[in-house]
Amino acid sequence: MISTFFNHELKSFWRSKNTGKSIAIKIVMGILIFILFLYVLALGLFLDKILHSAFPKANLTISFCGILLVYYLFDLLTRMQLQELPTLKVQPYLHLPVKRNSVVGYLALTALLSFFNLWPIVIFGPFIIKIILPASGGLVALAFFVSIIALALFNNYLAMYIKRKANLNGWVFLVAGAVLALATSGDYVWHLYSLRDISYLFFGNLIKLPVLALLPLVLAVVMYYVNFLYLKQNLYLEELSSKKANAYKSSTEIPLLSRYGSVGDLVANEIKLILRNKRSRSSLIMGLVFMFYGLIFYTQAVYGESMKVFVGMFMTGIFIISYGQFMFSWQASHFDGLLVSKIKFTDFLKAKYLLFTIVSTVAFLLTIPYVYFGWKVVLIHFVMYLWNLGVNTTVVLFFANRNYKRIDLSKGASFNWEGVGATQMLISFPLLALPYAVYLPFKFLKMPNVGFAALALVGVIFILTRNFWIKKLEADFYTKRFKIAEGFRNK
Amino acid sequence: MIQINDLKKVYNGVIVVNIPQLEIKAGESIGLVGNNGAGKTTLFRMVLDLIRPEAGEVLSNGNKVAGGEDWKNYTASYLDEGFLIDYLTPEEYFYFIGGLHQQNKAQVDEALLSLTEFFNGEILKKGKYIRDLSKGNQCKVGVGACLLQKPTLLMLDEPFANIDPSTQFRLKNILKEQNKKHGVTTIVSSHDLNHVTDVCERILLMEKGKIIKDIATSSSTLSELEEYFGVGQSIASFEVDREENH
Repeated sequence: MISTFFNHELKSFWRSKNTGKSIAIKIVMGILIFILFLYVLALGLFLDKILHSAFPKANLTISFCGILLVYYLFDLLTRMQLQELPTLKVQPYLHLPVKRNSVVGYLALTALLSFFNLWPIVIFGPFIIKIILPASGGLVALAFFVSIIALALFNNYLAMYIKRKANLNGWVFLVAGAVLALATSGDYVWHLYSLRDISYLFFGNLIKLPVLALLPLVLAVVMYYVNFLYLKQNLYLEELSSKKANAYKSSTEIPLLSRYGSVGDLVANEIKLILRNKRSRSSLIMGLVFMFYGLIFYTQAVYGESMKVFVGMFMTGIFIISYGQFMFSWQASHFDGLLVSKIKFTDFLKAKYLLFTIVSTVAFLLTIPYVYFGWKVVLIHFVMYLWNLGVNTTVVLFFANRNYKRIDLSKGASFNWEGVGATQMLISFPLLALPYAVYLPFKFLKMPNVGFAALALVGVIFILTRNFWIKKLEADFYTKRFKIAEGFRNK
Repeated sequence: MIQINDLKKVYNGVIVVNIPQLEIKAGESIGLVGNNGAGKTTLFRMVLDLIRPEAGEVLSNGNKVAGGEDWKNYTASYLDEGFLIDYLTPEEYFYFIGGLHQQNKAQVDEALLSLTEFFNGEILKKGKYIRDLSKGNQCKVGVGACLLQKPTLLMLDEPFANIDPSTQFRLKNILKEQNKKHGVTTIVSSHDLNHVTDVCERILLMEKGKIIKDIATSSSTLSELEEYFGVGQSIASFEVDREENH
């Protein structure tokens, strides 16, 4: 039975829409995953060198044993954030004459198919083979391998368990997070104990007494059974699903926007779209994370002013880029409704401009503290803010007319390739190249300030001629709307 | 109201809709019937300018529907959940639709009051987004939003499919009332022949993209339709069996 399940699982992976329909996307995705894998493998291969430079005085094996527990704490935290529950996939089998044990066993086993379980082996495996095997012999190396894999499995099932519990009660997640935070700050903030010493206490003794490897193994098996039993007792759709318990959803208004009439209503709807759906919410959160982008570049003297053009554009306009590149796919699920209702497409476009203006303005205001790095930085941000509002909005909307892919809003954004197509690849060229096409000529003529002025001027010209661009975009949309609506209907 | 000339739609070499001529007069109530794949929804979509016909045109009040905006002022439609903005609460959605027709909140609330019976306490003030409602309740929201727009042309695609029996009766009454009292032209498709013959005065029967029957509803219409769809045969054979038993 379980082999049939795995067969279905494989089919669902290859036939899933998120995997991407076109081969090009599959190749790019494959290369990205491969590069990531290479990085991690390099980390594993050079772990001894890295440890040596980090703790030059300590013995290599001691520092290695020291970091293991820290790694697994970090691992648990990331798993709780990122690892997906393999849940609703069992829905089609629940009503069939399939034994509960095989369904649950399948659920518990598919949980193993996660990249997270591969990392510890790739990172620590080479070290064990390079350092521990020659020094302590095969049995100890084997004991290390067993413990490392067992701890990964323990973490795997613990994270699943916490996430499942948290689905029923949100507090569980907070408590688990707090425990983890306390455990780490106990070491790094209050210096009550040293995680590295605790870690060494176990792994150091593992060298003397390889039988200790059974301990993590038992832990992993116990955790597996806890998970197994919990799942078996709670094999009901509402408890399995990753939806949170339904709280009362209240209607809200955004009073300021109602002044803009139907354009304002459209913006209000889109703000609700962003806040109430998982995937769009993540693109907004990504925008907030990008606010720290400047800290990476401004603290390093190596990066000159031309870099600031780039950084400024991203910080004030990341939302236009990350959210705008998928436009109008966000509204794919109700695009037919929009087309037949009494909305002028001009208003629809104006609403997009207004939305971008609001979010970019907020982003610009948030970057003002960068004045710490000098007034010029904020000035450049302002120039790029004008550029974003003028040029990038129009570029993004031009490409939106060429985007025919549906997006399911309820899926998360990480590793979600749904809706990604040639449009998203093409759009990055004008976005990245255009500001430099304006700025760099002046920079080479040793007039960088004129370059900034030119950027601002172009931005302002585009803002002032917005109505003209809206007309152009509208005419363009009317030639493509059937294709767009058709694409959005294809689930 | 609606005039269709030489309308044709082709998918992958197969003609799915082919209507040489069809006129729907203002105030008529049209029932569209036909088996799956007969082209009902495709026809609806072309009347609403959602897909491009291979040939022909649809005129609404004498103006071309394709590329026009005018018809949106008086046409309300609900084909499927794709017409609803699913991350809004029903209230927010109604206010939005009302706002598009220059109605303020008080006016929307008042209009919704007349739908209290139809909603049956399942829609308003439930604290749910539209996406969390059942299909039947989503249909109620869609129909409610249509009525809110006070249309002169109302188009519903299989509205009876997911709603409970009480709501089916209420919806039938609403459709009759809209048509008789307010003179609204209604076009409704359905697989339920009883409902369609009850509500509509003119039945269009589609088969493989063509309208093969265009009948004014009379007392014999239901049996005529049942015969076409093959229901008549099984009843006949059942009766023969009973007689043999005697």
